[in-house]
Amino acid sequence: MNMKSAFRNVYCTLFRSLYPNPNLPSNFLPRRLTLLIPPSPPSIRAQTFRSLSPTHSSASMPGGEAHAAPLLEKQFEDFRAQLEESGTLRERIRTVVMEIESTTRLIHSSLLLVHQSRSTPEVLEKPLAQIGVLKELYNRLAKIVLESPGQYYRYHGDWKTETQTVVSLLAFMHWLETGALLLHTEAKEKLGLNDSEFGLDVEDYLVGICFMSKELPRYVVNQVTAGDYDCPRKVLKFLTDLHAGFRMLNLRNDFLRKTFDGMLLIVTILLDVSLFLSSFNPCKPHNFSYYFCIPFA
Amino acid sequence: MTTESSMKDAFAKYTDYLNGLNEKRERVVKASRDITINSKKVIFQVHRISKHNKEEVLQKAEKDLATVTDQYISRLVRELQGTDFWKLRRAYSPGVQEYVEAATFCKFCRTGTLLNLDEMNATLLPLSDPSLEPLQINVLDYLLGLADLTGELMRLAIGRISDGELDFAKKICEFVREIYRELTLVVPFMDDSHDMKSKMDTMLQSVMKIENGIVSTVFLHLTMTKNVINVFNLMLWNVATDWNIRKN
Repeated sequence: MNMKSAFRNVYCTLFRSLYPNPNLPSNFLPRRLTLLIPPSPPSIRAQTFRSLSPTHSSASMPGGEAHAAPLLEKQFEDFRAQLEESGTLRERIRTVVMEIESTTRLIHSSLLLVHQSRSTPEVLEKPLAQIGVLKELYNRLAKIVLESPGQYYRYHGDWKTETQTVVSLLAFMHWLETGALLLHTEAKEKLGLNDSEFGLDVEDYLVGICFMSKELPRYVVNQVTAGDYDCPRKVLKFLTDLHAGFRMLNLRNDFLRKTFDGMLLIVTILLDVSLFLSSFNPCKPHNFSYYFCIPFA
Repeated sequence: MTTESSMKDAFAKYTDYLNGLNEKRERVVKASRDITINSKKVIFQVHRISKHNKEEVLQKAEKDLATVTDQYISRLVRELQGTDFWKLRRAYSPGVQEYVEAATFCKFCRTGTLLNLDEMNATLLPLSDPSLEPLQINVLDYLLGLADLTGELMRLAIGRISDGELDFAKKICEFVREIYRELTLVVPFMDDSHDMKSKMDTMLQSVMKIENGIVSTVFLHLTMTKNVINVFNLMLWNVATDWNIRKN
């Protein structure tokens, strides 16, 4: 009984201390309990907080209590300064990354013309000119990041996705130009990252290559529509090689693996396309394109 | 033909790179897990503290902690040596956080102060080869470890209260409050503050649990003494009335 009332007592006081000015009627607390705490707060206070004073508590614990608080505060002030600094660095990285992103959008939109039966060199003219801009932006990014050496991977997440897109576009352009895969070293070279500490992460490169392969089925369909019947075979050869290359990798169950699984689907689709093409020999390309609109719609 | 073979060569290179990286990550994760388990043991050892065995319990805990440093942290240092600590941070972060928790916990029980990050990093320096860049605990892991420390301190404080060491509990309460207050200023600037924000909520709950624990015992004592007085008063009154009745 005694315990019970004591706890309820405590609860009420706690309630009061947590909500010092509750908009409740004064008889919210049971009268009996208010009786239990007679109006003598000074004595309670004295008893509760007296022993919190440093002189008292230092008796139970050795060590300099007097120096502890300022030191602790000092350390946290340092942390705040450090973290604020890395925050501003991150802001600066983000501004550059946003520019990179808008450049990639520009490249992507001009590359889309490739599906509209324009000649490849004509289409590539504009995006190829943008590579220089990208190079310049990556140069700026590298300078910012290398201000704090050895922390490339601390901020890596901020430009990871954008870089993957950049690689996919570069690889697609490279493939349109030469019909070969853009290698890691070549990608680095194109972005001007080959001789600095700021490199191109291999995993980012591989994810970018996977992204690039997603663009190919649509390209094939539209090329066939335009009358290039050799295209599916060429693309299939390229993709099979690429797929064989990827199968050499021991992947973890991560993003790269999932992207790679998507590539398998593309290879299968293309296999169907070329089988279809080899069994029928279409004489009317426009009729033919009708069949391909469905799976990729 | 040439493009095909160059592609093969290139992919062979990527394979080597990825294999090496994955194996290393796996080893780092294992090292991190060992650090976690053994740091937890140190924390449990500190929890065995009581009024009378403080010295021996802390001595054993410190010895265990030194073993963790010498055996497991040094293994992590060896694995990470000379490479980018930020790349594999996700792999070793949990272990390091637990280690920070254990080390600061021991230090607090010994001296009542917070173990600084610089002091901690200084103890890690001798573990690594001086020619290479040494492993240093980064601010983020340290702060995440501190956030977990408050949970352990809460348990310790509740234990101390039930053991009657109210002063020690109050001391812990002060300390935890201080850490919480300082962290509120630092957390908004942290890299991935989402994780930390949930930790801050738990931390506030820990602080309040300690405060409530202390307050309830204080009031328990208070009402008990008050009741003794009441009973005494009642006795006196009874005696008086008894006496009055008799007198009449």
